[in-house]
Amino acid sequence: MFRCSLVVCGRGVAKRFASSFSSESALPPNLLLPSNLVDPARLKRPRPPADCSLPLLRKCDAVVPAHLSPVSAWVDTLERRDGEPLGLAQLHPDVFAVPPRLDILHHVETWQRNYKRISHANTKIRSEVRGGGRKPWRQKGSGRARHGSIRSPIWKGGGVSHGPRGPTSYYYMLPMKVRVQGLKVALSSKLAQDYLYIVDSLNIPTPDSQYLVDLIKHRRWGESVLIVDVGEEFPENILQATESLKTVNIIPAIGLNVHSMLKHEAVVLTLDTVKFLEEKLLWHDQRYTPLHPFRLPYSDL
Amino acid sequence: MSVLGGFLRAGASFCQSAGTLLLTARTISTGSCCQIRMHAIPQPKKVDRWTEKRNMYGVYDNIGILGDFKFHPKDLIMAPCWLKGFRGHELQRLIRKKKMVGDRMMTLDRHNLEKRIRFLYRRFNRTGKHR
Repeated sequence: MFRCSLVVCGRGVAKRFASSFSSESALPPNLLLPSNLVDPARLKRPRPPADCSLPLLRKCDAVVPAHLSPVSAWVDTLERRDGEPLGLAQLHPDVFAVPPRLDILHHVETWQRNYKRISHANTKIRSEVRGGGRKPWRQKGSGRARHGSIRSPIWKGGGVSHGPRGPTSYYYMLPMKVRVQGLKVALSSKLAQDYLYIVDSLNIPTPDSQYLVDLIKHRRWGESVLIVDVGEEFPENILQATESLKTVNIIPAIGLNVHSMLKHEAVVLTLDTVKFLEEKLLWHDQRYTPLHPFRLPYSDL
Repeated sequence: MSVLGGFLRAGASFCQSAGTLLLTARTISTGSCCQIRMHAIPQPKKVDRWTEKRNMYGVYDNIGILGDFKFHPKDLIMAPCWLKGFRGHELQRLIRKKKMVGDRMMTLDRHNLEKRIRFLYRRFNRTGKHR
């Protein structure tokens, strides 16, 4: 007992001795940093002040409730590598400033993972395994245990009694308004954490992917960027630039979803995309409950 | 003697099994061979988190709400035709499979399917507490 305590005291003294010699900033060699540590040099850009001199490029089309005020955001450009913001854009608070409901994000994310899951695990039961129709030996007199078939589940090579059966589906749908709220919460969280960037259009001067990488690194947007644009046609330059890049991806606005927004660190929207998203997501706040599926025609929609 | 006792106690704190073996066997080990043998700790497998499939996972899941309800997310599912946008337990799945695909199946598979449906129907509806 005394020997153990002496060893412990000695070890503590040795540690204090070593730390007093080494400098304060030297990191120990076996330090494990978490992989999702945010770059400390990435300072949060403050929101545009109320008396900003830049022009207001976009106002909210929909009516903003009286007790809320629109959120303003900078509008950047992709044409120059280190350009100043072009102007301001006003974003609707009911889409870009909703309370951060992490439980809704979790529900929508698990729904996205599971609703298309088909498990093809299958095992044969005792009637499906080849063979095993005949009684292996007579019931009485042979001295061995009594059995009816060689493919019963207690036999080696026999069927599985309670195994996975056939392709199984895990399909279910969340209510439409929950999915819509998930999108709103994701957009609001990205804006609140300064990871949402608005761009006037996706025209870049060169189809060189290095230009995009330099731009993103210079502006400290993040490690991975999701670019969203409305419309089926994209400019050739940006398509070519993002083709070879792994962490920079471009999707149409119809393909926006919570999983992609959570996977990519930064989300870049164009002004047209913001208008499209606001129109689509705000409609659900004031629609009537559907009498028949929305894909069938309604007289007033 | 006391030194040996101390070694045995220290050894027991590291590994219970080896320590208990040493204590019960009361053997004297003069060599320095390690009693614990295990395989090297395997390297964690390297997973590329940014492949094309992982990048584009989940895209178009909201095609209904963002795309004028022309399509439903269940149209995106890659599955056998009797499981697209359907969820049920085994009996329900088998009955649906027989209804949709039964006349195209091979004879042995069809026979097994019918046997399984018959077994599950009798099991659910005639045995146990709930019928």
